[in-house]
Amino acid sequence: MTASIATSQTILVVGGGIGGMTAALEAAECGKQVILVERNATLGGRTALLYRYFPKMCHPTCGMEINLRRLKGNRNVRVMTMTEVLEVSGVRGDYTVKLKLSPRYVNANCTACGECAKAVETEIDNPYEYNLAKTRAAYLPHNMAYPMHYVLDPSIIGTADAEKARAACKYDAIELDMQEEIVEIKAGAIVWATGWKPYDAAKIQPYGYDRFANVITSVEFERFANPHGPTGGKLLRPSDGKEAKNIAFIQCAGSRDENHLRHCSRICCMASLKQTHYVREAYGDDAKSTIYYIDIRVIDRLEDFYLKVQQDPTVSFIKSKVAKIVEDKAGNPVLHGVDTEGYHRYATTHDLVVLAVGMEPETRGIKLPDDMLLDSSGFIEGSNLPAGVEGIYGAGAATSPLDVNRSVQSATAAALRAIQVVHKTSTVEGVR
Amino acid sequence: MADVKIEMKTAAYVCSGCGLGDKLDVGQLARIAQKEGKMALVRQHDFLCNSEGVQMIRDDIENEAVTHICIAACSRRAKTEAFNFPSVAMTRANLREGVIWVVAEGAAHDEVRQEMADDYVRMGCAELKKSRMPEGNPNHTQLKNLLVVGGGISGLTAAFEAAETGYEVILVEKQAQLGGWAGKLWKRAPYKTPYAEPQETGVAALAARVSAHPLITVHLNSTIAETAGAPGRFAVKLAQESGSITEVAVGAIVQATGFTTYDIAKLPELGGGLAHVVDQAGLEALAMAANGGVMKRADGREVKSVVFLQCAGQRDDSGQHLPYCSGHCCATSIKQAMYFKDANPDVNAVVVYDDLRVPGMGEDFYRSAQHKGVIFAKGKASSVTTESNGLKVNYKDLILDSGATIQADLVVLATGQVPSSGVDVILWDKLTKEADGGSIEAKQQKSELKSISILNLTYRQGPDVPKLKYGFADSHFICFPYETQRTGIYTAGPVRRPMDIMQATEDATGAALKAIQAAENASLGRAAHPRAGDLSYPIVRLEGCTQCKRCTVECPFGAIDEDERRFPVFNEQRCRRCGTCMGACPVRVISFENYSVDTVGNQIKAIEIPDEFSEKPRVLILACENDAYPALDMAGLSRIVYSAFVRIIPVRCLGSVNTIWITDALNSGYDGVMMMGCKKGDEYQCHFVKGSELAGYRMSKIGDTLTGMGLEPERVSSFEVAITDNAKVAGFINDYVAQLVEMGPSPMKGFG
Amino acid sequence: MSELNQKAVAKYENNFLREVEERVEDGEWVKMCMQCGVCAGSCPLGNAWEHSPQKLFRMIMAGKREEVLTSDAMWMCTSCYSCIVRCPRKLPITHIMHGLAHYSHRLELAPKGQPTRELARIFWQNLVKTGRVNELKFSLAVYFKDGFVQGIKNLLSMQGIALGLVKARRLNPMEIIGGHKCRDIGGIQKMLAKAREIEDRRQGFTS
Repeated sequence: MTASIATSQTILVVGGGIGGMTAALEAAECGKQVILVERNATLGGRTALLYRYFPKMCHPTCGMEINLRRLKGNRNVRVMTMTEVLEVSGVRGDYTVKLKLSPRYVNANCTACGECAKAVETEIDNPYEYNLAKTRAAYLPHNMAYPMHYVLDPSIIGTADAEKARAACKYDAIELDMQEEIVEIKAGAIVWATGWKPYDAAKIQPYGYDRFANVITSVEFERFANPHGPTGGKLLRPSDGKEAKNIAFIQCAGSRDENHLRHCSRICCMASLKQTHYVREAYGDDAKSTIYYIDIRVIDRLEDFYLKVQQDPTVSFIKSKVAKIVEDKAGNPVLHGVDTEGYHRYATTHDLVVLAVGMEPETRGIKLPDDMLLDSSGFIEGSNLPAGVEGIYGAGAATSPLDVNRSVQSATAAALRAIQVVHKTSTVEGVR
Repeated sequence: MADVKIEMKTAAYVCSGCGLGDKLDVGQLARIAQKEGKMALVRQHDFLCNSEGVQMIRDDIENEAVTHICIAACSRRAKTEAFNFPSVAMTRANLREGVIWVVAEGAAHDEVRQEMADDYVRMGCAELKKSRMPEGNPNHTQLKNLLVVGGGISGLTAAFEAAETGYEVILVEKQAQLGGWAGKLWKRAPYKTPYAEPQETGVAALAARVSAHPLITVHLNSTIAETAGAPGRFAVKLAQESGSITEVAVGAIVQATGFTTYDIAKLPELGGGLAHVVDQAGLEALAMAANGGVMKRADGREVKSVVFLQCAGQRDDSGQHLPYCSGHCCATSIKQAMYFKDANPDVNAVVVYDDLRVPGMGEDFYRSAQHKGVIFAKGKASSVTTESNGLKVNYKDLILDSGATIQADLVVLATGQVPSSGVDVILWDKLTKEADGGSIEAKQQKSELKSISILNLTYRQGPDVPKLKYGFADSHFICFPYETQRTGIYTAGPVRRPMDIMQATEDATGAALKAIQAAENASLGRAAHPRAGDLSYPIVRLEGCTQCKRCTVECPFGAIDEDERRFPVFNEQRCRRCGTCMGACPVRVISFENYSVDTVGNQIKAIEIPDEFSEKPRVLILACENDAYPALDMAGLSRIVYSAFVRIIPVRCLGSVNTIWITDALNSGYDGVMMMGCKKGDEYQCHFVKGSELAGYRMSKIGDTLTGMGLEPERVSSFEVAITDNAKVAGFINDYVAQLVEMGPSPMKGFG
Repeated sequence: MSELNQKAVAKYENNFLREVEERVEDGEWVKMCMQCGVCAGSCPLGNAWEHSPQKLFRMIMAGKREEVLTSDAMWMCTSCYSCIVRCPRKLPITHIMHGLAHYSHRLELAPKGQPTRELARIFWQNLVKTGRVNELKFSLAVYFKDGFVQGIKNLLSMQGIALGLVKARRLNPMEIIGGHKCRDIGGIQKMLAKAREIEDRRQGFTS
């Protein structure tokens, strides 16, 4: 790859989740040249790891299939996975971006036949299962992966296992001497769609996420509900594999809390309401879901969904921020707190606790371009350059804790702003 | 149908990589392609998708003038970068995900495995012969300018952002000035750190920039008298208040017609109608009058205490008021309470709420209000009554679990947003049917309805964009928030769903992009979402048409009108290429170049049907290409085994399935047909709106035909398959095949 | 009604929140509560009181002056700080509870005979007398606060511990006569009077 692939007319999109894919595709379908870079081995981001969407209970992979088809049919987008932005320099209309390409050890010859995975013996924690399951060290991230290429975990490089993988591949797709590469590209505008990460639940000490096996996070619960997840779609609790029928959902786990995240993460109320459906789907009338909340924040037409869940006799609501969780002898989590509506103390035993963890921007820990303005939680608020001079735009959950729908809305808007930059640059330069 | 310009030359490429060569007799596949498929050129390769294999195909296209290729290798969803030959028509025979990965291992299955592969090669060749390279809609359009309807913050933003991208915009506002509701606000909620203070709305400045923009023309006091045409060629009549009509032509439309406030007169129990009970808009007017000074009531008395009642006439489950939450009202009340506190900290300002909904950084705005001394009480108001010169609010304090009252000089009801979305086209359709049947009443109601229409579309399916629940002209899709059911017309702002200014601004910017994109696509003769870039388009053979109107009624996007003789008029630029019209047409006169009654019908007929004594049933599966087909593919990827007796054909949408395919299949001796589509009903997942619903409806009618053929109705069966159902779908197949085996072979075998 | 209480009622009319903000230690934080209830659930003495902190805060905002100031809830606080640590709004709840207790005591609204209050009163009286806490006299005063018979019972039950303390030289029986004092008791008392004057001014009891 050389610097010549991109020009000042190119829009760089950083992050290949639903926000980044949308920004890239929307711009490309307006006829613009786009480079989409993604740090992981596949596009799809966190939405690809969700089981269902609220409020329709449809599957994220359905929309992803459409987006991938759009992508496959559009020659304006160039996708670079396992690529990170190291540095951005220059000005609006003329950025130089230094990219780091990590070795995949598998080239485009890969047909996803899976022979390498059979050959390799080492197992690693599967990051696409939030480390809840193991995978071979030669693996396909998931069934909807794009590009549909295997990846070798760096830990086996230099071992006999890597050699076995290489030997098993009939298509010369495995290149064990692949090296990290640094490349520079040009871009006229940049859309920053680096998304979010779940708040580290272990930091919420009274809930014992790090101590109790049966306290898990909402993103992990999505994997449990997924038929392709670690439990094959069964809601089994981690400590003993027992069916988890009586599940507590704790809202604001990290959010709306000055000890953790100042902001409200917006999506968690809906996410928990959605997850009560999983419980009901699995166990019917034997299901029991309890939502512990401060305020149920399901705005606009989503109210419908809340009403529906309220009518479900297997679901109850307690207005309370749970004070602490302890474990009984059988490994059941016991929740302590006070129902503030009229003041009732409780000590309630559940099979499993799902912490509705907050959304934290992925901006932290990434070197951001200097002119980006962050809010107090680290979400991208805009540019600290005056209007008309800025050329880098936040999109999706990198800008605010957003659900998929609003993330797409945000990314579409960001795509237009980026197009404006290359439009103006081209008008000035007379390229058009 | 016009014939292709250059002579058709076919070629088939059989791959033996990924184990195909080990599990299948690829030589036999090649022979079938040549002898039965009648491919002019057949080549084998042991790794077709590598650079050498791809080069081989390229060379044939270049040197051998190959125009049509069938690739017998992996799924059409795989290796799309390698198998990218934009200059030729292409079909893919799915031997990997569709055969060797799903048929049970072992020599015992060699025969059925090979038969399955043989058939897929036959089908690939058969489809290819009926396919043509899509050339794009020849009716190219030129217009790329936009019409923005509505001059509130959403409309202003859409117009400005589109103009800044270099597109001309015509902005229409029915009022005498720009700004809409946002223009009537004293301040707006903040959307930047520290999220602590109300901010200037900036509406006046934006309106000024829009008015001065060289690419924007503003029409005030104007409404839309008529909208005809399609993306890239909309013809719009603007009616001035004076009655004069201006005709304009535009490429795409953004409808940002906003909302009206819910009428507080409908809330007498909360004091609606009493003096000094206002809605949030009324409070803004008081704030404008106060101009930053102390807040006074309409009677001039200074307000010392004010109570905000949240969710007034909203989140209502009694069926009397709005069932939804308008989202912005909590932050709006917070902002308005600050008007009082900022002018005079001694004012007692209380917000009575059920759930305080200030998501995201709104939490900081909430904190700021608390810091200023605004009191928040979780409670439910029961009544507001007049008392001496003020008001008494009775509510239940939900924390203290007791009744409470507050005296107030002023009460603000946080009522909701009611979308200004024009005519309900479902009602319109009903009235049209009644009026056509001679009902004078229906005719009158129709003309009344027309007076509230916003766009006055001349479309067969009604004058406005179809509404979803509660009247919002929204998209039904989570991943695709801009997809209305009218191509090239995008709704933005609170007409789409309740929203605040910040979201409306973002929404309008995105809608501007979508409108630009629609105009660009139309100019290139391409489809819009979800088949963006598709160059195929519906071609109709009108001489065969019987004017049955099914296509015009069933098109989910209102793309087809009727002329005065009731023949369908296709507006290709409005079409999303789902093929619903093709599925609907009883005389089969509608087709696409690469997707037609023939491309599929030919595949169905191409397979070899074993005789009734073979104990090898044949089952046709018509699978939605967006969900069911990927699910089947992923079953392969996960090596989930299913019966080798099925033959799968992906369809653009179950709505495109023409019943002739079913009867043809059964006539030719298939033992059963499985239709796999998306979830239907209120939470439908079909990206073409009602494909599976239509298919279900059509299949319900096919029972008689089957009985007439002497077949059991179970021989045609529908299944809802989601994209994640790869294990489930294998179960469906195996169960169904077992059911058919039980039933015995089709009596039609041997007559086909 | 005590004079201080009457004055306070007159001054703040119905605005109890304002009164708390101005007169109770860290009272200005009360309005920041969002009623999540984590304090209520975190308090180890939760079962012992009638009103949880969060509920008291809501009562303050709802103007329930009498109920708040006569509540014994804030007297139950043992300063474990669990509530402060967990409060998502970082309210200094422990301090507010003590502030409320102190204020209700000053207004003489606090429940009569409330054990914590009595203990504190005895402690204070003991302390200001000599400038040092006389542990022996303090203990005796506590034991006998509920009458002679109860006092003897208390004494007997604590006998073993007392002897142990004497053996370990942690308790000097001779302290019963006088006990040791600070060098400048007059100075200490002046200092305390000054502190009270400042505090009263700060809290608006005097101008």
